[in-house]
Amino acid sequence: MVEIVFLIPFLTGVVAFFLPRRPGRLLLVLTGAVHLILSLILWAGWLEPVFPAYFAVTPEGLLSLIVISLLFFLISIYTTAYLKKSDIRSENIFTGSMLLFLSTMTMVTLSDHIMVMWIAIEATTLASAPLIFTHRSAASLEATWKYVLVCSVGIALALLGSVLITFAMDIGGVDVPVSFSALTTAARQLDPLWLKAGFVFILVGYGTKMGLAPMHTWLPDAHGEAPSPASALLSGVLLNCAYLGIFKTHKIMIAAGLESFSGTILMVFGLMSILAAATFILKQTEYKRLLAYSSIENMGIIAFGTGVGGLGAYGAMLCLIHHSLIKSSLFLTSGNILLGFGSRLIEDTGSLVRRMPRTFIAFFCGFVGISGLPPFGIFIGELLIIMGAFRNGHYVGAGIFIFSMCVIFAGFANHALKISFEGYRTTVRMEESASMVWPQYVLLLTSLLLCFWIPDIFSRAITQAITASGGVF
Amino acid sequence: MIHLVDIVLSLVLLSILLSFGSNRLAVLIKVIGFQGVVVSSVPLFMGHDLSAFGIAFSLATLLIRGMIIPLCIYLAIKKVAIRQEVEPIYGHHASMLAWLGLIVASAFIGGKFNLPAINNHALLMPTAIALLTGGMFLLMGHRNAIAMVLGYIMMENGIYLVGTTFSTSTRHIVEFGILLDVLAGVMIMAVILQNIKQQFDDVDTSLLRTLKE
Repeated sequence: MVEIVFLIPFLTGVVAFFLPRRPGRLLLVLTGAVHLILSLILWAGWLEPVFPAYFAVTPEGLLSLIVISLLFFLISIYTTAYLKKSDIRSENIFTGSMLLFLSTMTMVTLSDHIMVMWIAIEATTLASAPLIFTHRSAASLEATWKYVLVCSVGIALALLGSVLITFAMDIGGVDVPVSFSALTTAARQLDPLWLKAGFVFILVGYGTKMGLAPMHTWLPDAHGEAPSPASALLSGVLLNCAYLGIFKTHKIMIAAGLESFSGTILMVFGLMSILAAATFILKQTEYKRLLAYSSIENMGIIAFGTGVGGLGAYGAMLCLIHHSLIKSSLFLTSGNILLGFGSRLIEDTGSLVRRMPRTFIAFFCGFVGISGLPPFGIFIGELLIIMGAFRNGHYVGAGIFIFSMCVIFAGFANHALKISFEGYRTTVRMEESASMVWPQYVLLLTSLLLCFWIPDIFSRAITQAITASGGVF
Repeated sequence: MIHLVDIVLSLVLLSILLSFGSNRLAVLIKVIGFQGVVVSSVPLFMGHDLSAFGIAFSLATLLIRGMIIPLCIYLAIKKVAIRQEVEPIYGHHASMLAWLGLIVASAFIGGKFNLPAINNHALLMPTAIALLTGGMFLLMGHRNAIAMVLGYIMMENGIYLVGTTFSTSTRHIVEFGILLDVLAGVMIMAVILQNIKQQFDDVDTSLLRTLKE
């Protein structure tokens, strides 16, 4: 019974709305642990879907699910400590929404039916909206409004795209279930014109949610205004869920022999996102928005890599996993910085190394990792994408890619060094609770570990997920 | 042959004109409700699936699209006693002209569709496209947050109409799931509307400008 993996957080989420503070926090961590165990059981292949028409366990879905599950468990531990220190008024709504958010994201990873996928992705928007509004300020209200409206309208276009794909079935005379797996098998018979139209709408729709430029406008606001644990979830896993929708449609396109069409569009959107992020990172004044723009950059990298195909697609998968791990650790760390300095502006921070040394380690390692420096995994991912781009002859694309990486590194390094070392005189050591630093350490160590030792089953899942795009080597 | 479906759909096309020309929110909400009723009853008129199950689903859809969603927005307005007039950014005359252009373009594009399932219904595709683009037009042409939400609902109505051609055995459950999502989305938007009103004493989205870059 595969469906139990998202039903449990759904039920506990509903219960959490009616619980007082302490039991609510406990339920959050407990559900995280149960979810992680269930995901591992799913990985072992002991569960079968009850509704195979709607749900299926696919390699790429499983990969995302494990990442979601691990991240949520660690974030839930951090959240309990974070909630004790911050003054969030209606905590039951916060914990309840976190759990519903987990449930809907799990549903995205497991859905196989095109429309069920849409339902799940739209549900993630709805479940996460209260999280962004947690602080109830004018700015968070604006961020929530933008998030709900931009994403709902964007995702409505994805629904239209999904309907257009069913047109492609009707015209092509294909009578199979409207699921990604069945459509990939029957892709050659689908009407190519409608399939292309469907892909464009789905890319624009889910691309809005994934944060691809120029549909990214909601992203920095939402990530900046949400409490840090929620930002970590939004950036670490929600963006992956939207990517999954695009990836699966891209797989249909590849099977239909239209990969040059969808690949080119993906590469263009990817490069646009990277360039947009580079522009805004240079002059950024708030550190949480800085991280948000870095997420847009990484989503651009992933879209570009997927579009390149082959080696690039492998690199994109690696980037997807490592970005989740490293970026969510950085967002959690930004929560510590916010609690320590009481301001979101970069100029109000400084001398993190003296003030909060343990947070500093997490922050600096995260910065090194997200910038694509070894020994973290994004380095390997980006390297593979660049190699793939050269191999497939996308020299201009690769050039823009490398140039933007350099600009972004310069901008990010400038801000990161300011936060870490500037203002050396103000050196009051702050208290840092253990449960607010070690989740970040675990996330970063996982990323490090995955560079040197990829479990066999893990690498098999990655290669299986991308063999459709023309094999690896 | 002029089908019953085409007659009601032509009324929907006119209702888009009404929504572009009117400056009263109450009228806009009624238009949205009317469109909701029509688009959800189209499958019944087309005789797609007249099993008891199918009819029940259509009626539930009609109830949600035609009554509950508009009522939701209406109550949100009522509760916070917002100004009842809205003015598009580019004025009413330009709006009307845009409507004409929209209808012509939709009829032209809609005619290009060659789908066996809807060949008997000449107005189905043009109406769907007009609803979709009209909704977007409404959404982008207003600074009033309520008009924006109404534009979103109009878009959704259009997509639903496109989707009525989609006929597989699993259709109802999936469609109902989509509908529930839309309903929940509108409810959340209504809550945000109330909060915007409390915070800023108006629902003009040009007040929301702290997060610009």
